[in-house]
Amino acid sequence: MKRLNTIMIVVFAVFIGGVACMNLLAEDQPFSQAENRPLMQFPEVSLDRITSGAFTKDVETYLSDQFVHKRFWTSIKATAQKVVLKKDNNGVYFGEDGYLFEKFEPPSEQLDANSESISRFLEKTKGVSVYGLLAPTSIEIYPDKLPKFAQTASETAAIQRVEEQVKGDISWIDATGALKAAKEQPIYFHTDHHWTTHGAYVAYRAAMEKMGMAPLSSDEFAIRTVSKNFRGTYDAKANDPSVESDEIDVFEPKFHVSYDVDIDDGQSKMDSLYAWEFLEKRDQYSLFLGGNHRAVTIHSNVKNGRKLMIFKDSYAHALVPFLANHFEEIYMVDLRYDHRDMAQVVKEKEIQDVLFVYNIAGFAEDENLIWLRQ
Amino acid sequence: MVFSSLTFLFFFLPIALLLYYISPRAMKNFTLLGVSLFFYAWGEPVYIILMIFSALTDYIHGRIIGRYREIRPLYAKLGLVSSLVVNLAVLSFFKYADFLIGSINSIIGTGVEPLDLPLPIGISFYTFQTMSYAIDVYRGNVRPQKNIITFALYVSLFPQLIAGPIVRYEIIEKELMNRTFQLSQFADGVRIFIIGLGKKVLIANSIGQLWASVESQGVSDLTVLAAWLGIIAFAFQIYFDFSGYSDMAIGLGKMFGFSFPTNFKYPYIAKNASEFWRRWHITLGSWFRDYVYIPLGGNRKGQFVLYRNLFIVWGLTGLWHGASWNYVLWGLYFGVLIGIERAGLLKWLEKLPRFVQHGYLLIAILFSWVLFVFEDINEGIRYAQVMVGLGGRPLYDTAFLYDLYTNGVLLLVAGLLSTPLFTRLWKQCVERSEIIRNEWIQTALQVVFFMAILFLSTAYLVDDSFNPFLYFRF
Repeated sequence: MKRLNTIMIVVFAVFIGGVACMNLLAEDQPFSQAENRPLMQFPEVSLDRITSGAFTKDVETYLSDQFVHKRFWTSIKATAQKVVLKKDNNGVYFGEDGYLFEKFEPPSEQLDANSESISRFLEKTKGVSVYGLLAPTSIEIYPDKLPKFAQTASETAAIQRVEEQVKGDISWIDATGALKAAKEQPIYFHTDHHWTTHGAYVAYRAAMEKMGMAPLSSDEFAIRTVSKNFRGTYDAKANDPSVESDEIDVFEPKFHVSYDVDIDDGQSKMDSLYAWEFLEKRDQYSLFLGGNHRAVTIHSNVKNGRKLMIFKDSYAHALVPFLANHFEEIYMVDLRYDHRDMAQVVKEKEIQDVLFVYNIAGFAEDENLIWLRQ
Repeated sequence: MVFSSLTFLFFFLPIALLLYYISPRAMKNFTLLGVSLFFYAWGEPVYIILMIFSALTDYIHGRIIGRYREIRPLYAKLGLVSSLVVNLAVLSFFKYADFLIGSINSIIGTGVEPLDLPLPIGISFYTFQTMSYAIDVYRGNVRPQKNIITFALYVSLFPQLIAGPIVRYEIIEKELMNRTFQLSQFADGVRIFIIGLGKKVLIANSIGQLWASVESQGVSDLTVLAAWLGIIAFAFQIYFDFSGYSDMAIGLGKMFGFSFPTNFKYPYIAKNASEFWRRWHITLGSWFRDYVYIPLGGNRKGQFVLYRNLFIVWGLTGLWHGASWNYVLWGLYFGVLIGIERAGLLKWLEKLPRFVQHGYLLIAILFSWVLFVFEDINEGIRYAQVMVGLGGRPLYDTAFLYDLYTNGVLLLVAGLLSTPLFTRLWKQCVERSEIIRNEWIQTALQVVFFMAILFLSTAYLVDDSFNPFLYFRF
């Protein structure tokens, strides 16, 4: 048995020593594309931090953040979970037909507070047409593709709750109804929490109707597949390598358009609604308008004098390319970073239309609508 | 730092082993002491002073007791008392002061501020070890350790430092002073460590999520079967967590040349509460037996003393697990069960079929975990009410069905691994089959088996750290 024991020890030592060396030699990464977050760097050393235990805690975070071949290990775990008949991993359900779904938790008081914030905003913007669009996420549209008995709260009920709670003059756009009616189309990504441009187009038609404008027919666009290898945020949690990548389609107008896009008050400019360089990165959804910015202003070649302000999360990014064909100016505001008195801004810029675009799962937890109350 | 972490596996352990094995023989204890102090300081940069203080005072106490034991018994006795007072004072101050303050406040209505001291890791383990040393020196069971490095190593030895087993000085006395490298011992250590790691990471952590999911539903929304499923999940979680940790400690001990005592022997296959405690956290049970129960007279001084002793020992055992009344009640619950078993239940039980005996024990244990897991006793009672159908809750709902079928495999595996079934099957295979006994085949099978567990455990640990913050990066 001497040989057995020797081999056992050698294999063990090679494994822990080998992985240790690989981690030691690997260069530190500043940012994780897969997780879409900055990674912990080697922590600052000071006597205070050492005695308080902050230093060693940070070293542990640093070591696990910078662990090499993370994606390899996490996909092993996801596969093992599936082998033992688990139907979810890190809070994401493995659905049918290659769909991943994130559970919608019963909304907290934050949702009620957000309704209140919108009501307060409406008091200050009388005379302006305000519209609300709360989009469901894929789990609400495809409950039939969920694992059997999987639990999730009703997004429709949460959306209704907001619509009933908000007091004042606001027109709600029924995106849920329109999306449910279009569920046979590829309106949601399988691997990401966003809707696709097809989903955004369906919501755009519903919005136009509510706003009393004529939507453009899909015949007026050339639909082009610009990516076949998009793996989104759900995939980053579920890590299931057997789930197929998503395609991203873009609706390109067949008629002449031109846009001037100003980002963060002149910080940068684009002459397109698409930031194509993101197709080379992991976070491909940022293709639309280059992802999240504090404030984006779009001047289009539509000369009708109409101005629209949008309070939004990233669901708006796929929607705005459609709306941009109907407004001369669109102001997109991200309340996470833009804390101006918005009712005042609406007055100053003589904006006639305001639109809220959020997905209900994000809206239910968003802590920034409070800035509308000032 | 816990053993089941990437930091330990791929940073601390390789370096510790390397340093230890390149150290010259005379320096090995010194190296191991340094490594152990580093290990403790990693998690407790300030409280390391407390542990060093504890080691120093007990070293001195040991010397005093040893020196005067035969010539001046009174001095020796004073030394022992002083040692116990210091250890218990340290333990009480850091672990029980707030519990005491809170209890006094609620009984007589005072408003004394709690101290809010964080509990030093492992304090319950190392104070118990040093107390056993002082008592054993006093009793003449062991000779006092004269080398301060060796003694400090005993107190701070990192494998058993923070979660047991409780290793008495007499057990590793020889190894502390003189150990030789044995290939088979090291290889056993690797195997036992990997098994422990797998128990903790693959089973305890996974089944723990099921318990967390049930607990998060809130007692008032639970269905009857979900309450049972939840507490069964917790029973598996605590067993695989605790015994996994003990296995890792024992395995690590072997890698550094120490033989620690077994701490768990398939407790859930016991047939009564008395037997359960001979299989569950064995080193704690025997500590209380040898240093509290027997000195109080055990069962040799009549019925009254026996039941009084059971009450004291089990109350203390409960209190050892945590500074809260529910732990005391949990301990007393076992005291009462064991008392009843001794008073005649056991004789009656033994006549019944075995499955009834197992059923009795398992149900008794599950209810004990309800008491253990809820620090708020009222909530524990409400949970138990739901379990027995007094909560006015439905039998089950779809949330229960989801939890059941998605955890079915895990529950089955955990159940089977709580029995010696697989170990026995493997032994039989080895006995009966010439092919499996072949050294090369045996080697291949073992390497694949153990490395698969280590590999999967690593994957699970990495994903644990995989913590996407998905909406934005600021």
